[in-house]
Amino acid sequence: MMLLEHDAKELLAADGVPVPTGMLATTADVEPPPAIPIPWMVKAQIPVGGRGKAGGIRRAETAAELRQSLNELLCRTIKGQTVRACRIEQCVEGLECYFSLSLDATQGRLRVLLSSQGGVDVEAHAEGVRSADVAFCEREAIEAAHRLAGTIASPARGTIIRATERLIAEYFAFEATLLEVNPLFIRPDGPWTVGDLKLVIDDNALVRQPRLRDLIRRRAEAYPETSLKLDHGFDFVVVDPEGEIGLLTTGAGLSMQMLDELAERGHRAFNFCDIRTGELRGDPARLIHVFRWIAAGPKVRSVLINFFAGITHLGEVAKLLVEALKAVPELRVPVTARLIGNGYDEAIAVFAAAGNPLRVEPDLDCAIELALAPLTKARP
Amino acid sequence: MTAAVHLPFVTPDVATIVQGMTGRTGRRHAQLMRAYGTRIVGGVSVRSDSDEVDGLPVFKTCTEAVAATGAVASVAMVPPLSVLDAVRDAVMAGIKLIVTIAEGMPVRDAVAALEIVRTAGARWVGPSTPGLAIPGRLKLGFLPDVSLHPGPLGIMAKSGTLSYEVCHRLVGRGLGQSLWVGVGGDPVKGTRFADILPFMLTDPHTHGIVVIGEIGGSEEEELAAAMRALRCAKPVYALIAGRTVREGVTMGHAGAMIAGDVGTIASKTEALASAGAQVFTRIRDLVDAVAAGVGKTSGELVPPI
Repeated sequence: MMLLEHDAKELLAADGVPVPTGMLATTADVEPPPAIPIPWMVKAQIPVGGRGKAGGIRRAETAAELRQSLNELLCRTIKGQTVRACRIEQCVEGLECYFSLSLDATQGRLRVLLSSQGGVDVEAHAEGVRSADVAFCEREAIEAAHRLAGTIASPARGTIIRATERLIAEYFAFEATLLEVNPLFIRPDGPWTVGDLKLVIDDNALVRQPRLRDLIRRRAEAYPETSLKLDHGFDFVVVDPEGEIGLLTTGAGLSMQMLDELAERGHRAFNFCDIRTGELRGDPARLIHVFRWIAAGPKVRSVLINFFAGITHLGEVAKLLVEALKAVPELRVPVTARLIGNGYDEAIAVFAAAGNPLRVEPDLDCAIELALAPLTKARP
Repeated sequence: MTAAVHLPFVTPDVATIVQGMTGRTGRRHAQLMRAYGTRIVGGVSVRSDSDEVDGLPVFKTCTEAVAATGAVASVAMVPPLSVLDAVRDAVMAGIKLIVTIAEGMPVRDAVAALEIVRTAGARWVGPSTPGLAIPGRLKLGFLPDVSLHPGPLGIMAKSGTLSYEVCHRLVGRGLGQSLWVGVGGDPVKGTRFADILPFMLTDPHTHGIVVIGEIGGSEEEELAAAMRALRCAKPVYALIAGRTVREGVTMGHAGAMIAGDVGTIASKTEALASAGAQVFTRIRDLVDAVAAGVGKTSGELVPPI
């Protein structure tokens, strides 16, 4: 997952990496402390690249301009992302360099890029970008950075090398997959500052990254999906708060495909879900959580369950479903279950004994049609 | 009958051990794979003191297991943070084919494992994969029997569940598989789509290739390049999941994340289509096209189960 710029900067700043002093604002009614002097940069906090070009970064010279920029940016949608917070930070100037470390997933190697012409138009200066592909280890990365910096004919070379060494250490300490600093400001008198920072971390490594775990827990509202996974052990993502169909599904690929199949039919799912039926182990807790979260969707009018059980016994799953539905009486919309796998007949018997709290359909396309029926009927 | 071509070391009678065989998952799947016909010759458990489970010998290390059984393949059923050690142990013992099923292996561990298998000339399928199968003959992992059936299709899939669904429907139309490889949904992995293509193109029993892709990474684009380089003459049908996913959000699979222009549906669809593949967004459309294309020409139609 990509960290928001503010969080990534504060994380590195805590290790002594120089970043412009800044603060996070969620309303326009803020007054930056003297430590963050005028002029300010106002930067939308969204997990995507190209914010500057999309109008997500402003400069403010006065308190009035700051308020205006915040008013314009907060709650705006940029590249499909709603801006819920902005980072206000002091303006920094200097030689604008570019530095990035990225995992080449295909080769399992590290790509190091360095340029003395960074900034928003770094792509335009592509010929000035020096690159090296090396083994995925800290020592090789540092050697590569030295080699690349050696080709830059600038008095700033020494500072560039110091900066890259620090950033490489951070990249490996946090098990990041991408670290991009653009611009990396180099001042003629020596100091360097991280202008903009993109940090993508490896969710699978969170288990051994206590500082990243703490950050995500502390800022749970900014990382709802990841913090939910840390707390509950499975994936649930609200994809459209206005979505009309709640999904209780297992398997990431099939669950993504369900969203696509609904979109193809002109309907919006409320959520993505990979419950991992194999990990239920006789406990309906996960199912109850998902039903509660779906019930909280204001526009949800139908729930579709899809379990393709390779190993899991459907009779067991059915018992848990009945238990979970009983535990969530606030879920009042029709529930359709597409079940396939071992124990189908037992599942049907379990539902019948419970008074059929849901409809079962073994074919996926038919189940989708059934689940969509309450939505299409209501429309003229 | 012409000899089948699978991946190197993937043969119907390959001697196989299970790492982590005394654990809950390992023990269960060792029995299920054995029941399917896989030649399970023993297991490894670094912790357990028992030297036998369900009639199979249990060893402390892969080296002991390989020395006693002559195993060539291993299925590692160990927790995500133990996968790297399991790969190292297996490869050092001379194992040539290793399948690791655990979800959640850290990327840095996967990079290290990849280096180990490459240096040793071994093949790694995983992480985060339901495994691979020669339907009716061999299963390394836990692909569901309900979707497995011998037939003319080569299957390569990033997603387990989506491939179960697609193959189940194709089997319902009388189309089974010659070889099925789940590559897993992680960004760094042992076997990628493009690695599998040459074998499926050479195999005389594979008449069509079904690709189950998803957003994120560049594997579909690499496959498209390989199709061009190898002058792929077999029909390729691709389904790519995740067209509704927003940039920057990870959807269940660690590799399923769009960053900038890399990993988008548009990029993958364009690359595969221009290399000659048929690309679909609905399961039903893909199944219909495969049935119409391969179903007519394969001459190997098997009855639905």
